[in-house]
Amino acid sequence: MKGRVSQIILLGILVLLGIWLWRTLFPNPARVIRKRMLELAQAASFSGKEGLIAKAFNAEQFGSFFDNDVEAIVDVPGRSQQTFSGRAELVQAALGVRTVVGSVAIEFLDINVTVSPDKQSAEVNLTGKARVAGERDFFVQELKFTLKKIGREWLIKKVETVKTLSQNWRPTPGLAAA
Amino acid sequence: MNTEAGPDPSWLQTIVIGRNPRRTLIRTVVLAVACFAIARFILLPIRVQGGSMIPTYQDNRVNFINRLAYLFSPPKRGDVVAIRLAGPSIMFLKRIVGLPGESVAFHEGHVYINGQMLDEPYLRLKSDWEDPPRELGPDEYYCVGDNRSMPQADHTEGKAKRERILGKILL
Repeated sequence: MKGRVSQIILLGILVLLGIWLWRTLFPNPARVIRKRMLELAQAASFSGKEGLIAKAFNAEQFGSFFDNDVEAIVDVPGRSQQTFSGRAELVQAALGVRTVVGSVAIEFLDINVTVSPDKQSAEVNLTGKARVAGERDFFVQELKFTLKKIGREWLIKKVETVKTLSQNWRPTPGLAAA
Repeated sequence: MNTEAGPDPSWLQTIVIGRNPRRTLIRTVVLAVACFAIARFILLPIRVQGGSMIPTYQDNRVNFINRLAYLFSPPKRGDVVAIRLAGPSIMFLKRIVGLPGESVAFHEGHVYINGQMLDEPYLRLKSDWEDPPRELGPDEYYCVGDNRSMPQADHTEGKAKRERILGKILL
């Protein structure tokens, strides 16, 4: 009886080890992407203590998450829509923000990943939360990322801000301003 | 001479884990599971942050979202609702002023629905917002905060799809 229990425990351990090994060798794309987005949030955050070289290095590191032909269409609060084309432009913008703003802490919450059936592209919908030094309130923005698998890496092809409360309207025919 | 002055262990045990530890453990587990289920699926605890719902809801107050409020009936005009972004971690707290299919406009800070001025007794602050009339789709609700004294450009407002409305504020 005791021997059988030990066998069952051993079998359970072996099964768990097998699952862990399988997940390590063949990771689920959704899980990989989710981890990558968390790393991106970390790379996009910075403190005011960065020196000039660290700023440039970290901005470049931030750029490594994006494809060369990335397109970013973002609505910055209080500003008009900004469009960035290409990784170089995005890195330049990231460097600019790092120079102007003291520190930013970014968090990505509610990361929803949809992988295409061929597992070569994916869409990510998430909520970005940013705390900027000197600001009392934090900023929130819903974001949509389009990713493509290039080699073994998932790179961001497109970033768009999502208007949670949409202002895209159909004008009412025959009604003037009240 | 005895110098021990600690509390009676049996008395302490009764206070902390009860007379029957097994029963206490079961009660604790049931209570924890019930609290988790209620907080996740029925009454979502929230902390109001920001001033867009002033004066009805002040900054930093704790409240709850009733996720069952619209189980059998659709959202109504005047309801204060939670609108999700990508998920329920962060939500917008807004008031529904326009219902599906209606036309919504702002003139001198007042909301006009299908050309008729909406009576909004909950508003306390003056507003100068202006927006031409625009029509809502079949499953769209027009949501706006109560603090319309702030510049319209700084205030998050607009139409929300029904699927984004997670529930109604409780208190």
